[in-house]
Amino acid sequence: MTAPYLHIRGIRKDYGSVTAVENVDLEIRRGEFMTFLGPSGSGKSTTLYILAGFQDPTAGDILLEGKSLLQTPSHLRQIGMVFQRYTLFPHLTVAENIGFPLKVRRKGRAEIDAKVRDMLRLVRLEGFEDRKPADMSGGQQQRVALARALAYDPPVLLMDEPLSALDKKLREEIQVEIRRIHQETEVTILYVTHDQEEALRLSDRIAVFSKGVIDQVGTGPELYANPATRFVAEFIGDSDFLTCSVLSSDGRTADVRLGSDFVVPGVPVHGGGGGRSAGALLLRPERISLHRHQPAEAGTLPVTVGGLTFLGSNVHVAATTGWGEPVAVRLPFGHGAIEGLSRGDTVWLGFDPRATHVFC
Amino acid sequence: MLLSFERLGWWKWVLVAITGLVTAFLLLPILFIAALSFGSSQWLIFPPPSWTLKWYREFFADPRWLESAWTSLQIAALVTLFSVGIGLCASFALVRGKFRGRETLKAFFLTPMILPVVVLAVALYAFFLRLGLNGTVTGFVLAHLVVALPFSVLAITNALEGFDKSIEDAAVLCGASPLEAKFRVTLPAIGHGLFSAAIFSFLTSWDEVVLAIFMASPTLQTLPVRIWTTLRQDLTPVIASASTLLVLLTILLMLLVALVRKGFKS
Ligand SMILES: Nc1ncnc2c1ncn2[C@@H]1O[C@H](COP(=O)(O)OP(=O)(O)O)[C@@H](O)[C@H]1O
Ligand SMILES: [Mg+2]
Repeated sequence: MTAPYLHIRGIRKDYGSVTAVENVDLEIRRGEFMTFLGPSGSGKSTTLYILAGFQDPTAGDILLEGKSLLQTPSHLRQIGMVFQRYTLFPHLTVAENIGFPLKVRRKGRAEIDAKVRDMLRLVRLEGFEDRKPADMSGGQQQRVALARALAYDPPVLLMDEPLSALDKKLREEIQVEIRRIHQETEVTILYVTHDQEEALRLSDRIAVFSKGVIDQVGTGPELYANPATRFVAEFIGDSDFLTCSVLSSDGRTADVRLGSDFVVPGVPVHGGGGGRSAGALLLRPERISLHRHQPAEAGTLPVTVGGLTFLGSNVHVAATTGWGEPVAVRLPFGHGAIEGLSRGDTVWLGFDPRATHVFC
Repeated sequence: MLLSFERLGWWKWVLVAITGLVTAFLLLPILFIAALSFGSSQWLIFPPPSWTLKWYREFFADPRWLESAWTSLQIAALVTLFSVGIGLCASFALVRGKFRGRETLKAFFLTPMILPVVVLAVALYAFFLRLGLNGTVTGFVLAHLVVALPFSVLAITNALEGFDKSIEDAAVLCGASPLEAKFRVTLPAIGHGLFSAAIFSFLTSWDEVVLAIFMASPTLQTLPVRIWTTLRQDLTPVIASASTLLVLLTILLMLLVALVRKGFKS
């Protein structure tokens, strides 16, 4: 295997006695769209700021094409960045903002003008050259910020929750634009968000941050189908967890017991040693089948229906197990199994043990 | 709005009356002086028996008046320069710096605003006596700097606090060195603060009289000091013209502030 394009190696950052991130290890390919996904305070921005050179790591190294970046000051790193807050230069026009990186590089007038035109076309803001930032909407400002960050063809572009201040519809619109721009420019992007949908929509791979460490790195489907920790399972997709006891485990799969006597065999197991212990069984609401009558084959879980919620194309069925734990099922609208279903009915849930996970 | 002016009923007129009275109280003495400066009476009789430009002619014919006006301008200009420069550096430390006692230091920078000027003047007089600075431009500038600096620090720290540091960071990532980013982005963005600092520093020095009386020598006097000493010797309407000119420059500067503020907003 060849050396990675961008290598984040064993990064740790302490603020006094607080450790913001530790053991952050990532190998990023050229042209990859890598997203840092995690809740607020999990260390995503800190990692990004270390890449930008605004923070020095307490330990670890950043290598771009094999060479350490840490000794290079921010303004010489040639890294582009779009910030969470609006950071256009307020006294400059849109064209002057986009041309700024070229101007400080002492490029000629003609070259700057041509590049500004290209960039405005890239972000679809032709005709906005002479606007001032204050006269533009948030979405437009962030698109100009993107154009400015890309104007000097940086090898790496950092984006720290650039859309978090925008409303949902506009956010989705600009996500499409970002995706297109990534494909057109082939720039390597490190993108920070706390929104799983945004991460899934944009990224080639996602690094899930939790409390300053990366829990798992993988493509969206990988993280969804095979979460390494309970945290990842909770963060990507909808999930329900049932407490269970692990009867036996070979380290890869385990037999677990729900309630007093419902045994699920051969469930992929994560964490914990062998032997008997408590765990949590992950169920995905949309991967559960619902039966109105007890099926002939064994392995279905009887539950009591608590209520139905209509969610457009889906219907959400809330239910309770015999021992009182909540579990949800999601079925497409109009599905036969929910016709006439009402509160208090007993139904049977079926699921494939190999598609569930147990965390202990 | 909860307390709308339109819905106040007759209270509205009470407010209008109070505003009018306060305005009159503030403005009438100035208008009075201005009127006297154009009056023909040697004894400052009001209302003036007839109108004349004589006192202005006398003002501009007397080298001592012109000299002190020029001294005032020079000192005010130097005070402005240093006040904004030092205020800018201090503000960066006070807003961006992370050190113990930052709040205390900021409060300390503002103390000259609440300290009685006379106390300051006596202290500086005694101190400058040892350094031989009394009666020198340097002494004047240093003394006025003490009272002008709080205005600069206040105006510039306010502007800097309202400026998002991320904007400067963005400029650095665009390839500007930290210093270049400050000059190309931060300073223009806090321009309104620098401008206010400059104007208030200038005006503080321009019409300051207490410190100036202590710093002045027979050969080095600012315009307010000249007015003051002349007033004690003989009562001539030239004083009224000098005062009017003093106020005129102040008003012009305030108008400039209003215009520039409008420019910054749009
Ligand atoms: N300048 C700082 N000083 C002290 N603590 C900080 C600083 N910046 C971040 N932290 C702490 O580091 C942790 C990670 O923060 P951050 O990287 O901003 O998280 P995220 O971007 O994922 O929301 C948080 O606990 C935060 O309080
Ligand atoms: Mg953040």
